[in-house]
Amino acid sequence: MSQAGNGTEVGLADGIDHQVAMVMDLNKCIGCQTCTIACKTNWTDGGGREYMYWNNVETKPGSGYPRDWEEMGGGWDEEGEERTPGELQNKEEYGRAWNFNHEQVMYEGSDEPLRPMEQPDWGPNFDEDEGAGEYPNSYYFYLPRICNHCTHPSCVEACPRSALYKREEDGIVLVDQDRCRGYRYCVEGCPYRKVYYNAMKKTSEKCIFCYPRIEGEGPEGEVMPPSCAEDCPPQLRLVGYLDDEEGPIHKLVNEHEVAVRLHPEYRTEPNVYYIPPFAPPQHSESGESIESERIPRSYLEELFGPDVHEALNTIERERAKVERGEESEVMEMLTTTDTADQYRLEVFD
Amino acid sequence: MDRRPMFLAALLAVSIVVTTLAVPTLVSARPAYEIPVTNVDNGATLDAVDGERWDQAPSAGVSLSSSGAAVPGGDNSTIDEVRVASARTDERLYIRLSWDDPTRDTSADNVRQFADAVAIQVPVNESARPPIAMGSTDNQVNVWYWSGLNDSQELLAGGPGTTTTLDDRNLESDATYRDGRWQVVLSRPLDGAGDNRTSFSAEQDVDAAVAVWNGSDMERSGAKATSEWHYLALGPGPQGPPYEMILWLVAGLGIVFTTLVTIEGVRRTRGE
Ligand code: SF4
Ligand code: SF4
Repeated sequence: MSQAGNGTEVGLADGIDHQVAMVMDLNKCIGCQTCTIACKTNWTDGGGREYMYWNNVETKPGSGYPRDWEEMGGGWDEEGEERTPGELQNKEEYGRAWNFNHEQVMYEGSDEPLRPMEQPDWGPNFDEDEGAGEYPNSYYFYLPRICNHCTHPSCVEACPRSALYKREEDGIVLVDQDRCRGYRYCVEGCPYRKVYYNAMKKTSEKCIFCYPRIEGEGPEGEVMPPSCAEDCPPQLRLVGYLDDEEGPIHKLVNEHEVAVRLHPEYRTEPNVYYIPPFAPPQHSESGESIESERIPRSYLEELFGPDVHEALNTIERERAKVERGEESEVMEMLTTTDTADQYRLEVFD
Repeated sequence: MDRRPMFLAALLAVSIVVTTLAVPTLVSARPAYEIPVTNVDNGATLDAVDGERWDQAPSAGVSLSSSGAAVPGGDNSTIDEVRVASARTDERLYIRLSWDDPTRDTSADNVRQFADAVAIQVPVNESARPPIAMGSTDNQVNVWYWSGLNDSQELLAGGPGTTTTLDDRNLESDATYRDGRWQVVLSRPLDGAGDNRTSFSAEQDVDAAVAVWNGSDMERSGAKATSEWHYLALGPGPQGPPYEMILWLVAGLGIVFTTLVTIEGVRRTRGE
């Protein structure tokens, strides 16, 4: 634990100098999957990684990727001391790669529309935009997910060979490819199912928080934010150190407490935080707004834990301030278009 | 006096003594924990599981139980015996392991798939017995590992979770799966040639322990069936007390004694 300026405590893992973190504003996500593709083309393009999405964007409510990952177990018990065992999912739960009729349509002159060769029955975000609720009050939102580079990572603890580790300098969780022998205890140990098994290499692989980019290994030695953040059209991701007191992440998470964790009850203490989604109020049959929240609070609480209530209330108050013409640091941080504010790249240098 | 019972008793006594001497050599008069090692001139037919020389090599049944390691499934293994035979030439040591496993698992291509595997562990320093669970930092073990993915690896370990592959691959393997049974032969030059590698000699028995993984039971790492320490009988002997021979003799003499007492009893009742 390190003490931040105003007295709020920032929980860092033992022996970690700093902790990388990300805040994602779910109100801005348009589900375009640009982040998914940015990550894929950088890191998981081939060689047994075809089915992997280190970054994925799923529709909530929905089954997610891999299907029903929230029901597969893993993480820690209530005291956060004992690991709770998880189960290994099937390949089908990630979704098989579909083969399309490219050959026929593009080279053989077929009139068929371009479509998968066999009837697909599941894939990442197969239930896109389905959501829940009844017309005219149905609702859904997008949830982008990466590895949370947790403070108390159960994937690390699950590995009997210590092949997974948390980097001292920035808390990034990595798999040592030389030590990994493909036992997959990490795959079933991560309650977010963010470690993947590469059947070609027989080792586990996962999101690396684009460490070569933040280390300035890119062109001209420039320090760059993770690809998923940089390529996001609405720029909804803030990147920096959780313990950087000047940065927006520390302020949003620790001071204003408007950014919350996904499934805090897994007790791995994720370092990806979410600004919970707002939606317009419900409508009556005749189309009038009624005093009832469209996305049920109970559902948001299931996802983000009880802290989501206070977070939403605070944001509402801050929005009202802006509407009255007053200043709001929270709304400024959430609406800035200055990438220097969004990515505190100087902390990585 | 009726001569018949006395004659039968004598016959019985003789046959028991004969059996006592003959059966143990037929069955196996080995001390507990011994894995017999046959000396052969030429290893030509030993590197294949079906090699004819293996037909003549005696084997030992090695019992297995769950390793109890602190991983999910660490106390839930499914294979309970492996038969181990061994042979050596002047250059190489061969070990043949076979065990029943109704499912043949040779792929790890799906997230939920694990391959069957077997391993034999020996101390790096043959004169000291390391802790059974993968040795320890100052008392390391060599592991000869074969998996259904059809690879074999020579590993070095100094405690649980520390296995490292040894680069130079001297280890050769052959395997078949037939009628619900795996047979695997592993062989390596006697001379370890290098640091951290066990060297075998004709001077000394060497401790050895075995582990088997059942892939369809999702066994891997510490989720495995393991044996206690046995030893490869490489040395010239003495080979320990011949327990079985002694037991046979005691049992045989017991039977003769009982028989004679019974005959005497019958005789007395008849008032002879
Ligand atoms: S999200 Fe999962 S994989 Fe990532 S650090 Fe946490 S427990 Fe490990
Ligand atoms: S790129 Fe941004 S907006 Fe598009 S799906 Fe990803 S997080 Fe959402």
